[in-house]
Amino acid sequence: MTNSNRRTFLKATGVGLLGGLAGCTRGGDGSDGSGSDGSSDGSGGSDGGTSTAGSDGELAVPLSEYEDADIDWRQFEGSSINIGAVQHPWVSAIKPAVPVFEELTGIDVVWNVLPEQQFRTKRQTDVSTGAGQFDVFYMDQVVNQFREEGWIQPLDPFFDDDSLFDEDWYEPDDLFEASRWQAHGGGYSDTWTGMPITVEVQTQFYRKDLYEKHGLEVAETLEQFRQNAKTIHENESDVVGTVGRGDKGYGMNIYILNTFLRQNGAELWDSFPDDSGLDSDGVIDAAEWYVSLLQDYGPEGASTQTWSDVLSTMQEGRAGHIVSDANLFWPGLTGSDSSVADKVGIAKVPSPADGQFSPNAFNWQISTSKNAQNSEQAFLFMVWASSQPTNTWMHVEGDAAFSVRQSVWENDEFRSRVGENFAQVTLESLQEAAPDPFDRKYPEWGQRYSEELQRAIAGQKSAEEAMTQAASIAEDIYSN
Amino acid sequence: MSTPTQTETTPQSTFARLRDLWNDYLPYWFMAPMVAVMVMITFFPGAYDLYLSLVAEPTLDVFAADFVGLRNFETAFTRGGAIHSFIITITVVVSALLLETVLGFVLAALVAGVGSDRAKSFYRVLFIIPMAVAPVSLATIGRIMLNSEIGIIPYVINTGTPFAAPSFLSDVPLLTVILLDAWNWTPFMFIIFYAGLSSVPKTLIEASRVDGAPMWRRYVHVIIPYMKPVVFVATLIRLIDLFRTFGVVYGLTGGGPGTATQLVSINIYEQMFINNQITVAAAIAIVYLVLVVALCNVIIAKVGFEGVWD
Repeated sequence: MTNSNRRTFLKATGVGLLGGLAGCTRGGDGSDGSGSDGSSDGSGGSDGGTSTAGSDGELAVPLSEYEDADIDWRQFEGSSINIGAVQHPWVSAIKPAVPVFEELTGIDVVWNVLPEQQFRTKRQTDVSTGAGQFDVFYMDQVVNQFREEGWIQPLDPFFDDDSLFDEDWYEPDDLFEASRWQAHGGGYSDTWTGMPITVEVQTQFYRKDLYEKHGLEVAETLEQFRQNAKTIHENESDVVGTVGRGDKGYGMNIYILNTFLRQNGAELWDSFPDDSGLDSDGVIDAAEWYVSLLQDYGPEGASTQTWSDVLSTMQEGRAGHIVSDANLFWPGLTGSDSSVADKVGIAKVPSPADGQFSPNAFNWQISTSKNAQNSEQAFLFMVWASSQPTNTWMHVEGDAAFSVRQSVWENDEFRSRVGENFAQVTLESLQEAAPDPFDRKYPEWGQRYSEELQRAIAGQKSAEEAMTQAASIAEDIYSN
Repeated sequence: MSTPTQTETTPQSTFARLRDLWNDYLPYWFMAPMVAVMVMITFFPGAYDLYLSLVAEPTLDVFAADFVGLRNFETAFTRGGAIHSFIITITVVVSALLLETVLGFVLAALVAGVGSDRAKSFYRVLFIIPMAVAPVSLATIGRIMLNSEIGIIPYVINTGTPFAAPSFLSDVPLLTVILLDAWNWTPFMFIIFYAGLSSVPKTLIEASRVDGAPMWRRYVHVIIPYMKPVVFVATLIRLIDLFRTFGVVYGLTGGGPGTATQLVSINIYEQMFINNQITVAAAIAIVYLVLVVALCNVIIAKVGFEGVWD
């Protein structure tokens, strides 16, 4: 190689390396999927534009499925609605069916799909300035803050409108009670704040091969769970007993802990807003159990584990079981991304020997703002999107597994697609689920509560000190 | 005979007056567009931030706002964690600045001392690469490489040394943040110092060599004093930039565990976008702005450009 060739080669390599590293930045703008619900698997749809009917002209769901309803579907023909959504499996699951809605109602649907954090910022700007750009938008833990600020519109007047809603056809009782409860502001509102669209519930995932190898029974109690973790941790090299979310954030460590504190007979806000209950015996016991479990049988640095760390550790076969987690993990654990796809079993979350089974659950819902231009059209979309025909199609024909309707989880076609055991465990867990009640300042004190728990997991303080401090912070926030 | 009427003289005199006005204030006219831009992009956001820090909640109708005096500032310093985040920020800024300055200078001196031009080019490219990595990429790569279970760095420490690797992100998070920032930004100091070293007159070095001064004396008494302006400008730029650090730390630790690495910038972000406490975030931002501007002005006044060149 001549000198000039070498020089050219070195320059080209240098430029290539720099270009490659700079290229790494694409798509890394904060949408790291660390969604508070833990469900952001980033299956984003397109970011705007009007959806159209399929090229072959056939609709995904026959219109006859909706024409039985005593609803005047075409009363807003010619108008359009703007939907603000996060990149989420629900968006990609429902998009192929949206031409059905457009054909049924004559209303055009315009999507605005953003990464989770960017969406939250845009949503807050939209409602707080009164812009009313979104007719429908995703709603999460800030529901009661938005409701008290008067930013979202109660849906009850629309439910009472005979031209917009047919109770017999829609069957609201088919929605899980936990989903309906969370759509009512988690007990803080007498009115509907939105319509639930997805639900995830905590379950237990375990390595069937390791359980068989060590003669372990699937844990029903917290003590059995800890014992199983110990056995695997001490007898397997390169495999930790368990792994769980330790990172802070109201969708992270406390999302998991809240299951165990409720099962210990405690609850958030023993007396709202004076007594947070975070320093009660039940909460401290639950925190001590979770903290010591992760410290003793979890990976090094458990306090910084996010939901994606948990998922990838389990996918790589480096953990015996997951403490408890959302049912949305199932496709990731049993799909092509998982090296242990055929070795993962599912069971209900363990509970204390004398406790009550009460897994945490989380619902995304869609709401409409007070300043929306087309709230009635938006309501028609909500009814259509969460109705039985649409929901069943998304789950049977599509690859969705987050239905808020019991009938879908009982549907034979769906159960054979996702697996009988998975469907039954999830259904029973959802029927007993107790979601977190998000009061209006939950984002603020929840963040601080999760920071305290993270400190305890990191070994910076005891679980009791952390929870006592969390209680003090939460109550202080409401005292001002 | 007719006297000149006003209508006959006005156009000419108006033009003359305008011309005089233009000529008399010529420097100001040239400055005006820049001033307008500064008002729009600096003063207006600053003023609006100050307004937000003084009201109970933000409203579009600024005159209808409920002014609450310094209550948001009080909240920021009581339950807003402002004091803690200021301490963390100062720790990170001072440590990283020292580390990057020393490492950058040492690397620049080593490369400058290399005899072969080809080797010099190679090292220059090699040492600049970390600077090209964007913060979010760096944080993501860092999280993976430092992960206790699947990370290469703990693996190398555990297998290649007699020491057990700490859990970087939970046991020594602040040190990890400082080291990662130093890895990312030492190249910036390196490249400026290298340029500075290249500009030191060879005659000075030759003279000191002829006088028999050993290498370290040449650096202490000749090269470093000559490079004072370069060192000052580089550290000042880096100092200001360090106060703005956000992406790499947020991506790496999220400010945790707990609030162990919660810089002021992260605290402001959390108050704003997680707690939805816009007014408290604005109050912290105002205090931070004033402190950083004051600090930079003090540095410039005490050891500023004139002192450097004296």
